[in-house]
Amino acid sequence: MSWTIRSLLLGVFLLSGCKHTGGGSVTPTPTQPQACDAQQAQISREADARASPWSVEQHLAKNFPGKKVSWLMTDSAYQNFVVKPNARNFGRCNDSGCYLFAAPSETIQAAVEKSMVDGAHDPAVIGQALGLPAKNFEGPLRMMTLDLAATGVCVRLPVDSDPGVWKCTSEADTDCFKFGGYTSGGVPELMVIDAPVSQAVVTEIP
Amino acid sequence: MSEEQVLIQSPLMYRLVRSAEGALFLDVVVGGIAQFTVRVVLTAQEADAYGRLGRPYADRLAMDVMASPAFGGRAIRVP
Repeated sequence: MSWTIRSLLLGVFLLSGCKHTGGGSVTPTPTQPQACDAQQAQISREADARASPWSVEQHLAKNFPGKKVSWLMTDSAYQNFVVKPNARNFGRCNDSGCYLFAAPSETIQAAVEKSMVDGAHDPAVIGQALGLPAKNFEGPLRMMTLDLAATGVCVRLPVDSDPGVWKCTSEADTDCFKFGGYTSGGVPELMVIDAPVSQAVVTEIP
Repeated sequence: MSEEQVLIQSPLMYRLVRSAEGALFLDVVVGGIAQFTVRVVLTAQEADAYGRLGRPYADRLAMDVMASPAFGGRAIRVP
């Protein structure tokens, strides 16, 4: 990357940072949106416009202060769709990238820790903590953690057209997608593009 | 035929499998920050459509399952 481009990116960084720091205590974390390719950057801009005055930068600063994300998979899903196919990236992949929903690591790890009883997790406790049905967490799990700052991956607000989106059909639905950066259970979430398997920490949850 | 045969292992996080008995089923990863797998056995019409249209049809069917994981009551959770 040339110094000119770096300077331009720095300029964008500083401008976007100033835009969001004037009115409150939220400190932007403007590294990730700049990591997006042109297509993902466009989707991110459109998502921010729809979420306005909220944005992915404010979302990162407020809800992801540790700059780490985590997500959970059943062990069978991890084995069949990550290990066996020797996946390079996590998430659902098409020609434009691999799409992964992720939450703040602190939130996921706290839910898991709270659920552990006699060396095994209680699905009901994780479900309650994350606002999701307990059945989603039955059986052995894997918890993945990715350092956003270290990997420099592209993140943005999830949108309705993302692979894997499961749209809510009523306000009472608690296990489906609602636009805005929060799960239907109220947990902050991000869309991570091309999360590398090689850089994630994978933890077994018995 | 004595074993399951994986016909498609898709990066969209689904696989199409022919069972030892010859039935076709889809295993599809659903969910967001918590992902798990559901299984849908294809109807005769869906199996026929897959035979005619191939992988694009399986892709579409899998995306339909992701968008509606209960899939009209046909999906069962894979342990």
